[in-house]
Amino acid sequence: MPAFEYKQAEEIKQAFKRHRICYLFIGKSGAILLGFPDTSQDADLFVDRSVDNGRALVAALRELGFDLSDNQASEIERGKDFVQLRHGPFDLNLVLAPDGIERFEDAWNRHVDVEDFPVCHIDDIIGSKQAANRERDRESLPRLRAFREYWLKNRNQ
Amino acid sequence: MLKDTTRSEWLEDFEAAARRPLAQGWRYAFIKTYKPVMDDAKFRAFDTMEDYRRWCEQNLPRWLGYARV
Repeated sequence: MPAFEYKQAEEIKQAFKRHRICYLFIGKSGAILLGFPDTSQDADLFVDRSVDNGRALVAALRELGFDLSDNQASEIERGKDFVQLRHGPFDLNLVLAPDGIERFEDAWNRHVDVEDFPVCHIDDIIGSKQAANRERDRESLPRLRAFREYWLKNRNQ
Repeated sequence: MLKDTTRSEWLEDFEAAARRPLAQGWRYAFIKTYKPVMDDAKFRAFDTMEDYRRWCEQNLPRWLGYARV
């Protein structure tokens, strides 16, 4: 599978907007949208857990070319905490309960729009990585914290 | 403790990234390499994050870095 392209991110944005999905980019892909220079293999989306949002999400994913069986669609609609999709046009992770963030609403209230992409605030991205406490997060956190300082200082320029 | 040189190199990276249009930065940022086990299934769903984290620890090669510290 090829890498996740900007055009595909635009397609997510448009499809999710059409289906009125409540979501945020989170994780490294969110940080990259904020301007963090690093690499990632997939996109992580923090999705609000509700029946309507789940149904809309399935419809949008199918529209984007994800070949979901009825069982898989049902698992997404039921609101599993973590769903990994590897059979679409790009790799996507759906995260409904990211470590370190209590409620979607809290993250939404702090979120940032980058060229109409809804993105978690850098503090939530860092907080979530801190709480997950994986080896890969430990390695990336010092640079991400340095980026936070830079981003906070320069975001309105 | 971070070295001052590391910090200043990072700062240069951040400033260079800020000068790039988003679409261009995106092209540099997203890469695809095969991750053993992780990429071998087309779909996985976990009831809880704890289930997912445990699955990663029990199934993925350690060097991928998904194990908790």
